[in-house]
Amino acid sequence: MKDNLVYVEQRVKRYWFKDGIGELAGGGLFVVLGLYFAGHEWLPPNSLARTLLDSSLILILIGGMFVTRWSINFLKTRLTYPRTGYVEYFPSQKNTPSRRILTAVIAMSVSLSLVLFGRFVGSFNWIPGFTGLVAGVIFIMTQARGGEGRFYILGGLSIILGLALSFSSLSESYSLGLFYGLIGMAAMISGGLTLARYLRENLMPAEGNNER
Amino acid sequence: MSADLRSVTELDRLIHEPARLLISTILSSVASADFLYLQRETGLTKGNLSAHLSKLEEAGYVKIEKTFKGKLPLTVCKLTSAGKAALKAYRQQVKEFMEKTS
Repeated sequence: MKDNLVYVEQRVKRYWFKDGIGELAGGGLFVVLGLYFAGHEWLPPNSLARTLLDSSLILILIGGMFVTRWSINFLKTRLTYPRTGYVEYFPSQKNTPSRRILTAVIAMSVSLSLVLFGRFVGSFNWIPGFTGLVAGVIFIMTQARGGEGRFYILGGLSIILGLALSFSSLSESYSLGLFYGLIGMAAMISGGLTLARYLRENLMPAEGNNER
Repeated sequence: MSADLRSVTELDRLIHEPARLLISTILSSVASADFLYLQRETGLTKGNLSAHLSKLEEAGYVKIEKTFKGKLPLTVCKLTSAGKAALKAYRQQVKEFMEKTS
């Protein structure tokens, strides 16, 4: 009986990933980040466009996360909830103000350490490999937390692509641009295919089906 | 009959019924879920699900609210703290019974 109840609980957690909307929106954010890094390669140094691009990273990250969250909510409200129902998950106990500050401090410390390490060894070519490893671990952890099997593929792809770009002779900006762009597109394709299958398998029920 | 075996008669029958056990287990994994989701996950008919939810609501195990998500009308169900405690106690009782009898 315990196994059956655990299966029911895991099935409920997997429901969030069932429609692929998360990957579709998250992949979009990765593509934007890819364009940001590639922009460093395309735009001439000391130009106004390049200066604006340099100062826009925080805006892209914060705005991107806000837009991603909003679009997931928008699409789920219009596509998922009317078809297969609405579920509200427990807010993460880790998502407290003190935990957020601690996460930000750790992220800044890690970033600073990476910059110092890069200057010490005289190269930043390893950054795409490191980024690929971090992104890969996040995809694999998402899988372990109840995601669908496709997250293993995205995790593996992320690690392999990051390492391959580290060993390529491309510049760091171009490598990072390619990494985020390609992983973002892979996530969008994965999410898009999942959403198409979900919409095919779950037609919109008759009006008022959510009433007791 | 031994006291170990007799303990099974003390199970909370409101939770013990398979459909209600399934509903309670689903609701214990989330903050709330709507009627449509519960119907799809349990495979119950509308009337059947509604009857089981009413029994759980009468016992104070489930709270049911009519709300909106954007323009989408929802009937949202939530396991109350009494419901969570009852489900936890039920699972513990069944676990102990299985351990003593296997």
